[in-house]
Amino acid sequence: MKKVMLLTIFAALMMISSAAIAQTTASGTLTVTATVNGSIQLVFNSDASGLALSSGAGTNAATLAFGNVSAFGALAAGIVRSTTATTFTVSSAVDVQVAKTNSASANYTLKAQLGAADAVNTWSVGGVAVTNAAQSTLTATGAYAANSNFPVAITVPFTTASGTLISNSINYVATAN
Amino acid sequence: MLKNYISNMRGAVLAALMLCGASLVAQTTATGVINGSLVNKNGISIQFDTDAAGVTLGAAGTSAATANFGAVSAFGPLSGGVTRPSVTAANFTVRTIFDVQVVQGGLTSTTYTLAANLAAAAPTGLSYKVDAVTLTTASQTIQVNGSYNTDIAHNLDLVVSTAAPGAGGPAVGAPITTTINFTATAN
Repeated sequence: MKKVMLLTIFAALMMISSAAIAQTTASGTLTVTATVNGSIQLVFNSDASGLALSSGAGTNAATLAFGNVSAFGALAAGIVRSTTATTFTVSSAVDVQVAKTNSASANYTLKAQLGAADAVNTWSVGGVAVTNAAQSTLTATGAYAANSNFPVAITVPFTTASGTLISNSINYVATAN
Repeated sequence: MLKNYISNMRGAVLAALMLCGASLVAQTTATGVINGSLVNKNGISIQFDTDAAGVTLGAAGTSAATANFGAVSAFGPLSGGVTRPSVTAANFTVRTIFDVQVVQGGLTSTTYTLAANLAAAAPTGLSYKVDAVTLTTASQTIQVNGSYNTDIAHNLDLVVSTAAPGAGGPAVGAPITTTINFTATAN
C-alpha cells in the first residue's frame, strides 16, 4: 500500500514537472525571402604611372586635376605631353576597375561620353575620342576585377588664352557582356 | 347507483385537475447549480513585430511572420528597410531588423533565452545570421536575457556569395525562401 502511494505521488510529480517545462517555451517561425540579382560595379583608381586622382579614388565619382599645363613648360609628374604645330596634348593614366557579382559574364563593354560639349578642346579616353554627342566604346572585352588603364587626354589649341580653366566630366558606363 | 358513479367521476376529475395544477405550478420555476472550475496554467508566447528600421513583416504580431528582402545585389539598389553593411570580393551582406516580443504569464521568470535554427539547410551561396550568429539546422542561442513584454530588435543578416550561379553562388533572379525557427525559453 505504501509503495502504491509513493508511486502515485511520483507519477503526479512527473506529470506536473513535464507540464511546467512544456509551458515555459514558445516557438515561432520567420520565413525569409530574397531575390539575388547579379550586379557590376565600376570604380576609378589612381594609376601608378599617372596623376593621383584628386579625390574619389576607389569610387565611381573621381576627380582628375591636371593642374597647370602648357605646351612647353614644366608639368606635374604623371602627365605625358605631345605637341603638334597648333596644339598640345596632355594625358594621364587612369585605372578603371569593374567588379562583377553573381554573374557568369566573362567580360564587359566600357563606354564613355563627355558630360558637356567642348567646342575648343578635344578629349579622348584610352585613345578613343569622346564627345558629348554619343557614347564612345573604349573596350568591348574588359576584364573584370583588374585595373585597366584608360588614359585621359585633352588636346588644347595654342590659341587658348593662358589661365583658361578647362573642366568637364566624363561619364563611363560598363555593361556586362 | 348512477348517483354514486357521478360522484366518483367528479372526484376523479377533481383529483386530475389538482394534479395538473400542481404540475403546471411546478414547471414555472427551476433551479440548478453549476460548479465551475479552472486551472490557471503559466506559459509564454512569442511574436514577431516590424521594426521601424527594418522591412515590413508579413503577418506581423504573430508567431509565423515573413520577412522579404526583395531584390538584393552587391552593388544595386535595395528595398527600404534593407541595408548592405559589407561588400567583399567573396560575399556581400544585406541586413534588415525585426523585433521579437515574448510575453509570459503566471511565471516568476524575469527573462528568457532566445534560440534559433534553420528549418532546412541554407540554400547554396547563402548563409543567415541573427545578431551575428550564423544559423544552422541546429538550435543556437541568440540571446540569454531577453526581457518580457517588449519588442527587442534583432539584426537579420543574409550573407550572399558573389560567385556566379553554378560556381558556388546562389541562384539569381528568383525568390529564395528559408524558414528560421525561433524558440523562447523562460529562464
